[in-house]
Amino acid sequence: MEGPALEVKNLKYSINRRLIVEVDYFDLKKGECLVLFGPNGAGKSTFLRLISWLEPFDSGEIYYRGKRVTEKEVPELRKKIVYLLQKPVFFRGTVRHNLLLGLKFRKLEQKEQERKLEKIATVFQIEPLLHRYPEELSGGERQRVHLARAFIIEPEFLFLDEPFNGLDVQYREQLLADFYRIRKFSGVTTILVTHVRQEAAYLGDRLAVMVNGRIVQMGTPEEISACPETPEVSRLMGHEILVEGQVVSVENGLLEIEAHGQKIYAFGQQQRGGKVVLTFRPEEVILASEKPATSVRNWFLAEVKELRPLDLLVLVNLECGFRFRAFISRNSAEELKLQPGKKIWAGVKASALSTRSGKELENVIGKE
Amino acid sequence: MSFSEIVQITWLSVIVSGSATILALLFGLPAATFLYFKNFPGKRLVVTLINTGMGLPPVVVGLFVALLLWRNGPFGFLQIMYTPVAMVIAQFIIALPVIAGLSLTAFEQVDPEFLLQARALGASSWQTILVLFHQSRMGQLAGIIAAFGGVISEVGAVMMVGGNLKGYTRVLTTAIVQETRMGNFRSAVYLGLILLALSFAINWFLTSLQQKGANRWKGPRWK
Repeated sequence: MEGPALEVKNLKYSINRRLIVEVDYFDLKKGECLVLFGPNGAGKSTFLRLISWLEPFDSGEIYYRGKRVTEKEVPELRKKIVYLLQKPVFFRGTVRHNLLLGLKFRKLEQKEQERKLEKIATVFQIEPLLHRYPEELSGGERQRVHLARAFIIEPEFLFLDEPFNGLDVQYREQLLADFYRIRKFSGVTTILVTHVRQEAAYLGDRLAVMVNGRIVQMGTPEEISACPETPEVSRLMGHEILVEGQVVSVENGLLEIEAHGQKIYAFGQQQRGGKVVLTFRPEEVILASEKPATSVRNWFLAEVKELRPLDLLVLVNLECGFRFRAFISRNSAEELKLQPGKKIWAGVKASALSTRSGKELENVIGKE
Repeated sequence: MSFSEIVQITWLSVIVSGSATILALLFGLPAATFLYFKNFPGKRLVVTLINTGMGLPPVVVGLFVALLLWRNGPFGFLQIMYTPVAMVIAQFIIALPVIAGLSLTAFEQVDPEFLLQARALGASSWQTILVLFHQSRMGQLAGIIAAFGGVISEVGAVMMVGGNLKGYTRVLTTAIVQETRMGNFRSAVYLGLILLALSFAINWFLTSLQQKGANRWKGPRWK
């Protein structure tokens, strides 16, 4: 089994004695797309700049293929990394000139440059843009060219800072899909920074969740979504607090929890008698006018408190001894004739609920 | 005044002011680059001095250079007082702060993200500096235009250190003064027109260089 391509240990960076980044451990496997995920201002971009040696850090070690990188090896290693800034800045000249610049920095032969340019222009479908000026392009086209000029270099590592930010929905989807395909095909080891959960889940082979300059959890999107280690991660993954309750029985990891007069089933490691907080994602809630006979274990007869339209979805606020929220499509809301005051059945699968207990409990309750 | 004399005077003007500007560029550009990249105590003082130097009165520069090159002065042994070399030195001192100051301003107008992105695309330190030059070359050319325009039209310094010796250190500006003093207004006006035409031609060339690199689209930038 091959070790990580890049490892970071005990990295610290501060500005005016204020610690901005403090990462105990971080690793990047060859060929993977790791998504550095976290809220704005978490230090994600700074972290990327540090590990591409664009800014000096206070202390810490970086290992390349298991060997610690010394000061002398930095210039050589920097050439293996391409880092794209969030804001696509273009240099004077045509799109073509901008695309070739990275190759010129590496002093590639003219012929080789042309070959790579032709290839990348085809892959990114930007041939018609080559002789135009970046100032004339639309935001989406600029972002596309921005990405292309990283891929043209065929670096060993590609660090991308929110490359899909600020694009309109349609163009974003297209570029996301193209990026996914091109990256998979090229197999370049990638770190992608984003604060958008959907992007993280779609693109990431693994996620590293960053909060307040620290990496709080690393794992596949499924792992992290299923068992977020801290309340922040849970919130970032889109979980909401459902209710606090007490475990009344345990059977093969299936907990029976009593909360506000309702029986709720969920999976977890808690003991009988323990207190738990249940979290869930509003997308996981099913609404129905009659209680259907399905495998869904949890059904509550709830009263609709409020309806809030969001784009094509409707956010429904419900109450059944405790309050919770559900996302359903606009069509379903119309079919169910939802309106405030109406009683409706709400179902959540036991597997869609996450349980937490112990100290975290106070944290969560305190913050909500 | 004979035709060959006019040609000789014009040629000397171009050579003296041109060399002074090129020398100022050779020293001013690295100085501005150093000031842009390095932080050190007293940097603000140096920049302020340069900015003050952009408005140096040529007569004062002439006086200063004359004091240095005078027979009994510290560099008197060089025996270059009243030679074209002395004129180049004086004009170099006038042009240097103009080029250094305007270059530094031009650098500072470049978004630092350009340099960061260049670096992040794999540029070495030298390549990053070249990117900085390339990004700011409109401003650099403005500096060259200002410096050359300043020195070719000044009269105080060349008069003091060149001495307006006929056939040796006489340039367009000193010749105009001379002809006017002697009441030869016709020659003075002709020389003045030549000076204007020369300035125009050189600025035309530099401006077309400058505009060649201009962005075609002049509207606001996207994010």
